[in-house]
Amino acid sequence: MRAVSDDAAGHPTSGLDERVHQRHRLGILTITAEAKEAEFGYLRDALGLTAGNLSRHLTVLEEAGMIEVEKGYSGRRPRTWVRITRQGRAALAAEIGALAEIVRRHDPAGGSPPVIDA
Amino acid sequence: MGEDGAEAPDGPDGDQPDQPGEPDLLREMAALRRRARTARHAYWFPLVLFGLLTCASFPFYLRSTGRPSTDAGVLASLSNPGGKWLPFFGGAPGTEHDSLSYYWLAGLLGGLLATLLWYRWHARQAGLATPARGYIICTAVLTVAALAIPPLSMVRSPRWLRFLHELRVLWPGDLILRGTFPFVIIALGLLILAWAERSRALAVTAAVCVALSLLESLYNVGNIAYRLGWSVPTGAAPLLNVLPSGLLLLVAGAAAFLWQRRRRAAA
Repeated sequence: MRAVSDDAAGHPTSGLDERVHQRHRLGILTITAEAKEAEFGYLRDALGLTAGNLSRHLTVLEEAGMIEVEKGYSGRRPRTWVRITRQGRAALAAEIGALAEIVRRHDPAGGSPPVIDA
Repeated sequence: MGEDGAEAPDGPDGDQPDQPGEPDLLREMAALRRRARTARHAYWFPLVLFGLLTCASFPFYLRSTGRPSTDAGVLASLSNPGGKWLPFFGGAPGTEHDSLSYYWLAGLLGGLLATLLWYRWHARQAGLATPARGYIICTAVLTVAALAIPPLSMVRSPRWLRFLHELRVLWPGDLILRGTFPFVIIALGLLILAWAERSRALAVTAAVCVALSLLESLYNVGNIAYRLGWSVPTGAAPLLNVLPSGLLLLVAGAAAFLWQRRRRAAA
């Protein structure tokens, strides 16, 4: 599944994972890494996605073992909670590290890239 | 997967064609993380709650004038517990009443339960849950240990249970003399909560709380007031060992509430 690695081995792009190297899936991992678990509605609003689109992204990440999805009820309201796994945290850290390295290589004088905890 | 089962309108993966460049992507993720953290933060509640509990305990400290007045007297009474089972919550054995002990036992356990329920409620409202379990477990374990160690180490046990007497090494010494050991438990719990909340502001507040609670437990704060030239009525002097922690928690809690509300409004 590793992708985007068309340069020599060791180039930061070789650290990019196509399942994670996508704006919204990276957003899902970033948000769920910040909390114990995130609710479907929060993710949908924060990422500006439709419910259907978010579901597709969640499916990709769940099948990759990067998140766990738990459905339940809060009163009579259905609730879906999303939790990042250890594998998801590792993938997020690798992706952020690779992106930061690419930024550093392309713009060495541009200052340090934003820091994101994984 | 989705709650309404809607289909993805923009491709099989829902991928968007306008993937930003790496710097923009990193900036966007940092912004998402900041916004999520702002929405998740909810630590003003335990600060205010334990601040109120501390301030509400003032009357118990005012009435505890029967407490041994010298360190020598306190230490002598510690060596002869005289059947007092909650010294970690109520101060040195030899005091004339146990109300403070029961107040803090109920306060700590009730406060923990309220905090647990608060974080659950807030998670449902905000859509993001704070991993507060470590805080709850840590504070509960400290409270239960403070509850269980004295009776276990003082109980008259058969020979094969004599090892229980060795639990006396876990008594935190002079820290329990003034009945302010619950402040130490609260402050240590807040340190764990700061880690769970990933909040530097709470970490600083908790560190100051730990320092204050140690000072209040080990020293008569009234002496500092006396040296500064403030006159404090004798009966109210014990309050000076309670007031700093109570006020700090309340002020920090109120400031956190206002700050968190402002940040959410701006987000």
